[in-house]
Amino acid sequence: MVDETVLELRGITKVYPGIVADDHVDFDLKRGEVHALLGENGAGKSTLMNILYGLTKPDEGEIVIAGKQKSFTSAKDAIAAGIGMVHQHFMLIPVMTVAENIVLGVEPTREGVFLDEKGAEERVRELSHQFGLAVDPTALVANTTVGQQQRVEILKALYRGAEILILDEPTAVLTPQEAGELFEIVRSLTADGKSVIFISHKLNEVLEIADRITVLRRGKKIDTVPREGATEEGLARMMVGRDVLLRVDKAAARPGEIALDVREVRVVDERGLEKVRGVSFTVRNGEIVAIAGVDGNGQTELIEAITGLRPFTGTVAVGGRPVEGNATPRRMLDAGIGHIPEDRHRRGLVLEFNLAENLALHDYDREPDSKHGWLYPKRLIARAGRLIREFDIRGGGPLTLARALSGGNQQKVVVAREVERDPTVLIAAQPTRGLDVGAIEYVHRRLVAERDAGHAILLVSLELEEVLSLADRILVMYEGQIVGEHGAGAGEEEIGLEMLGGRKAAAA
Amino acid sequence: MTNHVQPLTTRGWVPSPRAIAIAGGVLGVAAFWSTIPPFTARSPVVPIVIGVLAVAAGIWATTRGARRIGIGAIAAGVIGIGLGVVATRSSSSNLNTVFTADLIAQILAFATPLTFGALGGMVSERSGVVNVGLEGMMLMGAFWGVYVADKSGSWAVGILGAMVAGGLFALIHAVWSIHFRADQIISGMAINFLALGVTGYFFEQLYGQQNIPSGVSTVPNVRLPVISRWHFLGPAIGNLNLLIWVGILLVPLSYVILFKTPIGLRVRACGEHPRAADTVGIDVYKVRYAAVTTSGMLAALGGAFLSIGYLGGSFTENMTEGRGFIALAAMIFGNWRPFGAWGAALLFGFSTALAYRLPVYSGSAATLFQTLPYVLTLIAVAGVIGRSVPPAADGRPYVKQ
Repeated sequence: MVDETVLELRGITKVYPGIVADDHVDFDLKRGEVHALLGENGAGKSTLMNILYGLTKPDEGEIVIAGKQKSFTSAKDAIAAGIGMVHQHFMLIPVMTVAENIVLGVEPTREGVFLDEKGAEERVRELSHQFGLAVDPTALVANTTVGQQQRVEILKALYRGAEILILDEPTAVLTPQEAGELFEIVRSLTADGKSVIFISHKLNEVLEIADRITVLRRGKKIDTVPREGATEEGLARMMVGRDVLLRVDKAAARPGEIALDVREVRVVDERGLEKVRGVSFTVRNGEIVAIAGVDGNGQTELIEAITGLRPFTGTVAVGGRPVEGNATPRRMLDAGIGHIPEDRHRRGLVLEFNLAENLALHDYDREPDSKHGWLYPKRLIARAGRLIREFDIRGGGPLTLARALSGGNQQKVVVAREVERDPTVLIAAQPTRGLDVGAIEYVHRRLVAERDAGHAILLVSLELEEVLSLADRILVMYEGQIVGEHGAGAGEEEIGLEMLGGRKAAAA
Repeated sequence: MTNHVQPLTTRGWVPSPRAIAIAGGVLGVAAFWSTIPPFTARSPVVPIVIGVLAVAAGIWATTRGARRIGIGAIAAGVIGIGLGVVATRSSSSNLNTVFTADLIAQILAFATPLTFGALGGMVSERSGVVNVGLEGMMLMGAFWGVYVADKSGSWAVGILGAMVAGGLFALIHAVWSIHFRADQIISGMAINFLALGVTGYFFEQLYGQQNIPSGVSTVPNVRLPVISRWHFLGPAIGNLNLLIWVGILLVPLSYVILFKTPIGLRVRACGEHPRAADTVGIDVYKVRYAAVTTSGMLAALGGAFLSIGYLGGSFTENMTEGRGFIALAAMIFGNWRPFGAWGAALLFGFSTALAYRLPVYSGSAATLFQTLPYVLTLIAVAGVIGRSVPPAADGRPYVKQ
């Protein structure tokens, strides 16, 4: 690796109304290295990269590429300077082919007028061969997998002659296996002399792929460290600004009465397939029961059944009282179920409502929120103000739209609403998905606190690590059935094997 | 839903389900056509046999992957049998007055303003701007086309005037929907009312009680040298207005531009995913302004065809009478594609032409036929015969970061 600096950002500052997104940030990139940019959501990583890619104008600071000072007014300028960006949300057009997406904006032509589709496909094939990025240039993007789409995005940058690649949270949408393939691609790119800026808030993958790591916190650069000698704990401290408990600290559970009793529940999905095939378990007051499993093994449908979103057969009893199989969500809520849904944008919040309204979604039609059909907005606002303080929701007040908050704070709004109802059983479906270290720690502590207060908690998570650190009992779900049950100290390997169907025969 | 036909894996010489389905559609039309002049089959057996063949082809294709076109063929067969049997029951002299060679000419004439409008709407919506102001832009083209032609003494300058007027009105719509990010439906409707007022006012001011003077320079007809003397084709297409031919030529031209050139790729990118276009350095605003303005100019051509083309130098208040909206329906029915839109325009032109001629023997049937475009559009939007899918970002203002 030659010690040649290909990019330098000096004193980049960007101020938005009410917030300093980036505060005199310095950053440099050497040829052939992977330089990770680490920080929590809202630390200023994306703004910094949007500035580098010409999408946002900095208020102060300069961009120096290969020794020359540059000023970008649009992405076009940045592309011309050899910068390519793979956005977190892919910038691909589903109804067009892979090749069309790659050449868009710099299309090869025949006779200067017509789009040269054959030539474009040929060039894409060459590039994909050269860098080991397998894609079919003639396929419609809509028919490709997420992993393939990411490769298309990388090819898009390479096609434009990118020497510097910005990967914005590239693993957020990938399966572990796809992430492994991506790391291989990144290594082959750097071996070829390309330089990569790798944006992430996941500590383990940064330690796996990066040569150097720069940490941002609240718009300020904290430090740049080499990978050698860096630890997850040290990086987490730099990101959050204090010690972070990566392991959940909790006392042994003291289980009480049975709060949720699920017996022989069967659930059918919209295509008529039986996704939950006779599941029985109980959750007691004061314990956290986790359902582990690979995505798509019936966990979603099971939760939808228990929360009244999907009809089921079998029996479900909450606090000893059975509820019928076609109960509405409202009936389930009244029976004592609290639900932190797995998709907070689709089911947890009304993004265009303010926080006061979102926090009142369950009881807007009863006293004290309303009386005789009249809503009392002042009461909603007062309650929201109290919950915002109590749950440390940052980034807005009762009248702020939910859309304006960061993911972590949005999740806190959902948690606040569900916990405040004092439910008999709290169901948390992937409660930390997409959250950063600080917010994950908060949600974990809150769930343990609810357990210690004597509530029953049913956790569904795809992250085995989360299951192992939170659960008092672990159920493993595979193809619609519970295939294993373990105590708190269970081994990762054994559960992992069951999640993949390793003990299916024994359970059946 | 794109211009890319999946490559067919043909082993030996087996016709693809798609080809069979298209053949079925043609047979469906033939089932009806067999009973009217010049063929005038008198036995109901003929349309029934042909129609059943069409339905069979449709079913065969539907079960083998070509669902969309297959269902279309089944529908064509059923409708063909129905219309065909009805036609065999009426006397051939009646049929001879309704179905003549110049029915073709008339269909083309009725379809032309719709073709211009639908192509215009397509250009705008493919770039991501909904254009319900087509009606108003068309009306502007109609009035300013005849006015400029009158004052300059040249139909060519008149057409230019129409395009400038339509383009300017489209520009208003563009500024509102792109720059101010106003609701595009509301902006488009405002354009329609504004055009009605503007043309009405100037018509009154400039011509007062008199009408457009006779002898205004009008767009000439094209007399095809040999064909015009032929038996059936002569009266059908031998002597059509120049603008009819322009409209027909614009169909393949707009197809090539939209699907075979970089410009078209960029326009479509702006209509599907403007941020993606932006991130590769395409100026979304510029593309949309250009597309909307072009859209207005095309719609204005349709208007000019009404005032100084087909109707030979005249103007009346609200002359377009909703043709802009039918053009919009043709665009939707044609699934935002040039040939689809043209086919829909021809179909709607056919139903209008029939509605003009049928009163000869059935007034109620004529009225019923006039509703056909709207019924078909409802069917298309509901997705009975292959759902119409608009560009993903159609109607959504783009905000740069």
